[in-house]
Formats: sequence, structure tokens, C-alpha cells
Amino acid sequence: MRMVSSALAALLMTVAGASVTWAQPLTSAPSTLPPIQIVGAEQVAPIAVSALKNIGGDDDHRVSEVFAATLDRDLKLSGYFRLISPQAYVEDAQASGYNLGEFNFADWSSINAEFLVKGSAKRDGGQVLIEALLFDVGQQRRMMGEKYTGAPNEVGEMARRFADAVMESVTGTRGPFASRLAFVSTHGGRFKEVYTQWLDGAGENFRVTDNPTINLFPSFDKSGSHLLYLSYKSMSPSLYLADTNQRVETRIQSAMGMAVGGALTPDDRIVGAFSRGGATNLELLDGGGAEISRLTDDHAINVSPSVCSGGSQLVFTSDRAGTPQIYVMGLDGGTPQRVTFKGDYNTAPAFSPDCKKIAYETRTGGGIFQIMVIGVGGGAARQLTSEGSNEGPSWSPDGRYLAFSSRRGGRSRIYMMLAADGKITGSLTEGDGNDTNPSWSWWIGG
Amino acid sequence: MAKAADWRIAVVATLAIVALAGAGCSSKKPEGAGGPGEGQNGLGQSSVSSSDSLSQLQKGTLGAGNQGPLTDIHFDYNDSTVRAQDGEILKTNADWLQKNPTTHAQIEGHCDDRGSEEYNLALGAKRAQAAKDYLQTLGVDASRLSTISYGKELPLCAEETDECWAQNRRDHFAVSQSAGGPQ
Repeated sequence: MRMVSSALAALLMTVAGASVTWAQPLTSAPSTLPPIQIVGAEQVAPIAVSALKNIGGDDDHRVSEVFAATLDRDLKLSGYFRLISPQAYVEDAQASGYNLGEFNFADWSSINAEFLVKGSAKRDGGQVLIEALLFDVGQQRRMMGEKYTGAPNEVGEMARRFADAVMESVTGTRGPFASRLAFVSTHGGRFKEVYTQWLDGAGENFRVTDNPTINLFPSFDKSGSHLLYLSYKSMSPSLYLADTNQRVETRIQSAMGMAVGGALTPDDRIVGAFSRGGATNLELLDGGGAEISRLTDDHAINVSPSVCSGGSQLVFTSDRAGTPQIYVMGLDGGTPQRVTFKGDYNTAPAFSPDCKKIAYETRTGGGIFQIMVIGVGGGAARQLTSEGSNEGPSWSPDGRYLAFSSRRGGRSRIYMMLAADGKITGSLTEGDGNDTNPSWSWWIGG
Repeated sequence: MAKAADWRIAVVATLAIVALAGAGCSSKKPEGAGGPGEGQNGLGQSSVSSSDSLSQLQKGTLGAGNQGPLTDIHFDYNDSTVRAQDGEILKTNADWLQKNPTTHAQIEGHCDDRGSEEYNLALGAKRAQAAKDYLQTLGVDASRLSTISYGKELPLCAEETDECWAQNRRDHFAVSQSAGGPQ
């Protein structure tokens, strides 16, 4: 546990030093990491993450500790691995080698590791060099290796990239961990503020907004450097497009009326929902807020836009047929096609990265919602959640996971689940507030 | 749109001045003022303006009965039609606004918490618009009315009961002195 805490402290420095926003770290320190619940343990492969061998300058093993702690957490969150406790390791990582032939696979097969991560760390002035390798213990072969160089505060990001590479090597699909999560939290009080964190970053939140009003619906662009959100900070609810690197933002005004939400397109245009005269319609705007086209123009409620990563299709909620249902239309216009027909309250749709599926929430009674997934052409929907009330699905960049908010367990938190079957792999937030409105960025840093 | 935003900023300034000036302003109340705000205490300054729900939230007084001169109206579930009994309330509200021609009303639409956040923001906007339309048909000039939606963000009552939900499905009227009108 001590290792994890120090790693998180280092991660905190990572993000603060690396740029991210004008945001400030929260004052509350992380206590313990949330429990990882894995259903269906038969699919979970045991993996050992050995300490990196110090080959110069990492005498206090700080680089190794941060790397291993981040990698451990990501591999656990993936739902594909079970981490073998370092207390079971029989080998001394500093005495042993890390290349094929320089260590004994028997040391690892004896503790039932299927996979093994080994490597080296070097710290040279302001540079950290890490070489990390993945081995298949049963077949006694090297599966993959990566080298990273960067500043000391970038070790966590190196570990995330390596976690993604491990997942690609083992499952054939790159993992989702080199990405960021935006969400809304009532942390520290009753006002809703927007935060961002590395996906795995329990306890390392950064505050994007700091105003005692209401901030909602953060939506990441593909690069993870821009965030669109709705705020009441200027009295009238408006959309703001924030450049989190440059620490500037644009207020998006529309002649179509009061903003009630929006989303970014892959090429950084904006689809906004604006309410006027009792109707709420969708408008396509450029990044500065100038109107490009009106996507809907009727007397109904049209809200919750989500644009597929290909950029040509839009999914949204409309009650034009009497109840809130999910519709798909082209970004260049056309007649919206209704996707959902079952249930009388379907909303908050999100396009999967391959633009073939739509996750959404359906109300099953009272204020209880469950997350569903349906094909873009309609058909039978699959219910992924059933415990508590679950809202606001957002896809991982690899299309394998959904982040969503859930009131299971009392407070609302952001959880991560496998989109294929709804298995929860972990909780992504653990603050003292209610956390809602997750938005998952694309991969950051290539 | 820019005009609306400017107006709101002006109103903040006006409210601040009114608050600072305190009771001294009450002597400047419009002649012939009457209506639901005028009780045995007369129409004092405190009843000429009523704070909006967001300010009340910030002060921690949301739900503490800060009604102001105009009375809230309520809505049926997932509906934005003005109910018959609430038409009477709007008539009284309109009368007060007519007798206090230098006032503005911001109409806030609110919802109960059983729907989704975005859909409720749009529904709240419909509810605010419904009251605005109604007041206009009663002769109140549109320039004296603005609308905003808070969706389900600012509930007055937090319990999961029919009574509580009914209380939260409301239009609230935040009254202020007109920015451009005589002070």
C-alpha cells in the first residue's frame, strides 16, 4: 500500500508538471484504491510485474515503483489479468537479468504466473529511460518489448502506454489506458464542477471549472486537449470550449437559444443543443461558435448529441414521437432514423468508436436507468447493467469498455465495464462527492 | 442573444445596488403597486425583488421559502402545460407585473429528478416558455420576461416521494427592477 500511495503522489506531479490545465489538484489525498471486482475469474490471467532492474540512477527505485504501481492498476482495471503479489516472487529483480536467458522462467512458473513483465530503469539527469518486456512464462518466450524515454514526471504515462501494449500483445487489441476521463463531481460541496484525470487516476483529479454554480456534460475532443461543457457561471447556461493546454476557453453563443448541452465532432466542430420557444434543437457550429447548419428544426426536444469517430453520423435523443427515443442522422443533414423502439424513455446515446453500436440509458422505472447497447441499425438491445441506477455511458477509445456513472453503493461514482457483457472491472473515481457525466478521451500521446 | 446576456449582467448590478441601498429604496416603489406581494406589511423592497434559485443555492437558502412577490406554478409529470388552477396564479402574477411596470421576471423551469439531466434541461425550458407565453397573452410585455431552465439541478425537496416530486416540478419567478427603467 505504501508503494501505491507514493506512486499516486508521483502521478499527481506527473500531470501537474506535464501541462494539463489551469486546474489545480484537489486537496484531499487519496486514501485507498477502490476494490477491483472481477466477475468471471476463469478468464483472468495471472501476471507478475517484477521490479525494473536499476541500471543507473534509480537507486531509490522510485521510477520502478511508479511504473509498477501504475501498470498494476491498469492491468487490474482491464479485467483480463490477476496481479500476483510481489511477496510471492522468489527472484531478486536487482540481482537477476531481464533479457531472455538472463533469468529463470521456473522462478515464475512456480508461482503460477502466466505472463511476466520485467525490464530496466535508468535515471540520467532529467531523463528517465525505461525498457519493459513482456514474457509468456509457459512458452518461455518474449512476447513484446518497448523502450521509453522522458522526464521523471512522465513515468506514469510510460506505464499506461506499456499497459496498452501488454493488452495488445495478449488480446490483439490495444488497451485504453493512455487516455483521460472527464467528469462532473460535487466534491467538497454542493456545486457541480468539471474534473479530468488519467483514466486510472484515482485521487489525482484536476479541476477544470471552479465556480459556485452548475457545470455539466464535459465532452472531450479526440486529442484530449479540448473540452466542451455547459456552465451556468455567466448567469445564462452556455457552452464553453476549453483548450486545456493553452488555458483559454471560448464561450459558444447561438441565436438558436439557451444551451442545454453539446458534443465535439472528430474535427473539432461542435454539435450544440439549444432551447428556444419551448423547442430544443441541434445545431452544427465551428470551433468558434459560428453556425454551420441547423441539424434539427422542429417543435420537439432534441438533445444529447454524440458524433461517431468517423465524423459523418450523429446520434441523439428526440421526443418527436412522443417519448424520448434514440435517433441517428448524417452530420450533413437528412432525415433522422429512429433506432430504439422498446421502452418509453431512452436517452444519453454514445456512438462506439467503430460507429457500429450505440450505448444509451433506458429508464426502467422511477429514476432508475440501465445501460443498454444496440446496433446502429436498431434491432435487439443488450442490457449491460442491472444493479442500482446507471447513467451516461461513454466508450473507451478501443471500443472494449464503457465508463458510466452508477448510484450502486449510495454515492454516484464512475465505473468501467466490458461493453461485451457488462462485467464491471473497477471504479475510476473515489472522491467524497457524487461523480457523474463521464467522458472518455481518445488515446493521448500517440 | 448578446442583448439577453447584457441584460442579465445589468440585472446583477441592479440587484447589488438595490441590496446595498437597503430600505431606502422602498420609498421609490411604483405607485399603485399591489398583488400577492402586498400583505399587511405593505409592498416593501424585500418583496419587489426575489432572488433566483441559483443565488439561493449559493446562499444556502434554496427551499427556505424565499418566494418573492410572484407565486410559483407547478406542472404535471413530464408535462409543460399550464394547469387550470395555475392559470389563476399566473393571472395574479400578471396583474402584479402590470402594476409594477419597472420590474422584470426571469421565469425558471424546474423538473423532478426522475428523468435524465439533458432531457430535463429541455423540459424545464418548455415549462418556463409555457408561463412566458401565458403571461404574454395576459398582456405582459415580452421584453419584461426572460426564461431559463435548471432542469433537475435545483430541487427544493430531496425525498423520493410523489409530494416532493410535485413540489420540484415548478416555474419560479425571480423578480428584479428593470435595468433600463426608472430607479
